[in-house]
Amino acid sequence: MTAVIADNLPAFVIIVPLFAGVVLPVFARRQRLVEGLVVLAEAAGLAGVGFLAYIVFTHRGTDWVYQMGGWPAPWGIELTVNSLAVFFLFAVMAVSLPIALFTMGNLKDEVGSNKRTARFYTLFLLLVGSLAGMALANDLFNTYVLVEVATLSCCGLVSSRGTPRAAEAAFTYLVLATLASSLVVIGIGFIYVTTGHLNMGFASQGLAQAWQDRPHVVWLAISFVLVGFGLKSALFPLHVWLPDAHSSAPSPASAVLSGLAVKGYMICLLKFLYVVFGPALMKEFSVDRILVLAGMAAIICGAVMALPQDDLKRRLAFSTVSQVGYIYLGFGLMDENGLAGALFYLASHAAIKSTLFLSAGAMIASAGKKKISEMAGIGRKMPLTAAAFTAASLGLIGIPMFSGFIGKWYLIAGSLDTGDFLPTVIIIAGSVLCAAYLFPVIRAMWFETPQKAKQESTVQQECKTAVQHAAEHMPAGPGVPREVRVKDPGAAQKLALILLTAVIFVLGVVPGPFIELARSAAAELLMLR
Amino acid sequence: MKTLLEKLIVNYPYFFAMVLFSIGVMTVLTRSNLFKKLLGINIMGSAGYILFIAAGNIRGGTDPILHQSDPGTVYVNPLPSALMLTGIVVSVSVTAFALSLIIRLYKEYGTTDARRIARMRNEVTKSDSSDRG
Amino acid sequence: MRDFILKRVAAVILPFVCVYGFYVIFHGHISAGGSFAGGIIVGLSYIAFSTIYGIKKGRAKMPDKVLTWAESFGTLWYGIMGMVGISRGVPFLANKLAGVDLGVPGALFSGGLIFYIGLGVGIRVASTMITIFFTLMEDDRENAA
Repeated sequence: MTAVIADNLPAFVIIVPLFAGVVLPVFARRQRLVEGLVVLAEAAGLAGVGFLAYIVFTHRGTDWVYQMGGWPAPWGIELTVNSLAVFFLFAVMAVSLPIALFTMGNLKDEVGSNKRTARFYTLFLLLVGSLAGMALANDLFNTYVLVEVATLSCCGLVSSRGTPRAAEAAFTYLVLATLASSLVVIGIGFIYVTTGHLNMGFASQGLAQAWQDRPHVVWLAISFVLVGFGLKSALFPLHVWLPDAHSSAPSPASAVLSGLAVKGYMICLLKFLYVVFGPALMKEFSVDRILVLAGMAAIICGAVMALPQDDLKRRLAFSTVSQVGYIYLGFGLMDENGLAGALFYLASHAAIKSTLFLSAGAMIASAGKKKISEMAGIGRKMPLTAAAFTAASLGLIGIPMFSGFIGKWYLIAGSLDTGDFLPTVIIIAGSVLCAAYLFPVIRAMWFETPQKAKQESTVQQECKTAVQHAAEHMPAGPGVPREVRVKDPGAAQKLALILLTAVIFVLGVVPGPFIELARSAAAELLMLR
Repeated sequence: MKTLLEKLIVNYPYFFAMVLFSIGVMTVLTRSNLFKKLLGINIMGSAGYILFIAAGNIRGGTDPILHQSDPGTVYVNPLPSALMLTGIVVSVSVTAFALSLIIRLYKEYGTTDARRIARMRNEVTKSDSSDRG
Repeated sequence: MRDFILKRVAAVILPFVCVYGFYVIFHGHISAGGSFAGGIIVGLSYIAFSTIYGIKKGRAKMPDKVLTWAESFGTLWYGIMGMVGISRGVPFLANKLAGVDLGVPGALFSGGLIFYIGLGVGIRVASTMITIFFTLMEDDRENAA
């Protein structure tokens, strides 16, 4: 039995979340069962990934290629388990399990009815399954299909609250994401026309031979893929949909969208650029420079746009635009240190941004306040949530002992290796700007005292508006809180926040094995090994 | 040496695909009506289908169903068609989801024009904030 | 009386449309068509029934619960069929390798597991189409509930 599972583990990691997701609507009425199934599927996924990593790095040593249906490569579909896949799978499962824990028990307040809760979980698991697939797939068209599954799940998650604002944001997101998918599929079409292969390895060989005969087609393919995935992962000039979509979703959905979904598209782009087109073609078409420039622009502009936002979730969403820039900057450096730093930063940002969104969501739900200026003194009423928020903020800024520092350290090392000082300056300036938009929140939470007279009137109004808001958008009568009591959320939520904060600390204090994994992934991508 | 025009005539499906794609992108980006945006998405999708299916076509080939009696038959490549079936499934789901969102928005705002919806939404938020302030 | 002809004609045609849909699903591996196309036809026959005879009648014939079960287990069926390979020690979704009898080419039962997988996918597609139709037709229901 164990041997059977071990042999088919790459397939199981994908299909367990997917099939668990589609079965959930049947049990929509039994809330506990649904939640239990979700957490079980997530835990099984995490255990599976751990086992997968163990198998790959002890018994086999090289990439493990799993052939779906037993068909060999040019005809069949392959799943490749390499360092990159294992690294990203770890990030996905380790972050999505706490998010699933966080939703236990309180999701109904966020999205409405039981049926909607089940639908939310279905979309959540479909998203996790498709992200796992993106990490493993070694086939261009499969990647496209998984990207589409992820996109539709994301749109569903954005609109899961059912408010008109969310519907509008979801529609904008859907239109732009589908535009991006069309670009990607046409890019894949050009690769297929040029090489006749959809398998990544064979397409790469074909491109290496054919690109000099047809440079324009390859150029079109590379630019279509770049713009398509750039649009999906909110690379700076193409980020317009992100703030609305991520801030109008329910908090757990924001966490999974900002923390994981965006990263999945980046991993896809990474595989397309490095595995299919290859480093040589990237240099030939100066994709690396485009990525570095866009990354630097994203770091500065995203942070500057985050500064004036008073809505906490919108500020965090703009912060995602800025942080995505770091990762793209690392992708463009084409250096082992830089690429390893980018991958590490990707995982660390997944954990950090999820923590930020979840704790912000807990504060917003408990206090009924969305704006930073109204959050004065909330840290004393919700110490654990605010502590998690503070730890994650320090990690995002890049204080030593937290995970963001290690990622930035390697990014700076990578940019110095390439001999270009501008990225280094931008990375440090980005950290300063990051502190500028996150420290005011921390100061407001811990050190500011709410002004008494003004506070009362605002509280009353807020209660009123919160109740009105609840009455409008949450038809389930008994679930509506009659009075607003500001305190830490329940046990499952606390556990989730503690787990995520622990991930941030572990990545920051003992980064050794993870940075080794990222380095070996980078070496594989750059074909140094 | 073929002239550009000859190349274009021989590869006319690719040309049509690009024209369709441009029409689709223009519709999505310039029209403010949500339905027209949705139509633009579908037109873009069709461009992708044409590109793939034209790539799989072999002139003079027959449908790829195995006829055992005749071993010399030239078959059209079935893979792109199968892939595009998946693409169509995706496009159907996108269309259905977008339609349900449009219905939701229409019920709330009474219009399917993106600009008017944005204006109405801004007015609502403004009045909200003025109430609070 | 306005719909008399429509209703009578539909009563005669729609069962055949539905059966034709199943034909397309079952013959997907040996002729043109397949489970997606067939599933659409099956769903369409039912959607036509609901539009002609009224949504209430249509709803009565296909309750929510049945639809949800068909959707979920149509997909799960695919997974179960994939497990056949795994249970025999070969990769997921393996067909001939798993020792399934492939039959004579051209006959109905000639694809091994593909026939059964197609059935699951067809049911899933048909029920999804019907769900989409109902969702678009009666969007208030959920908002009111």
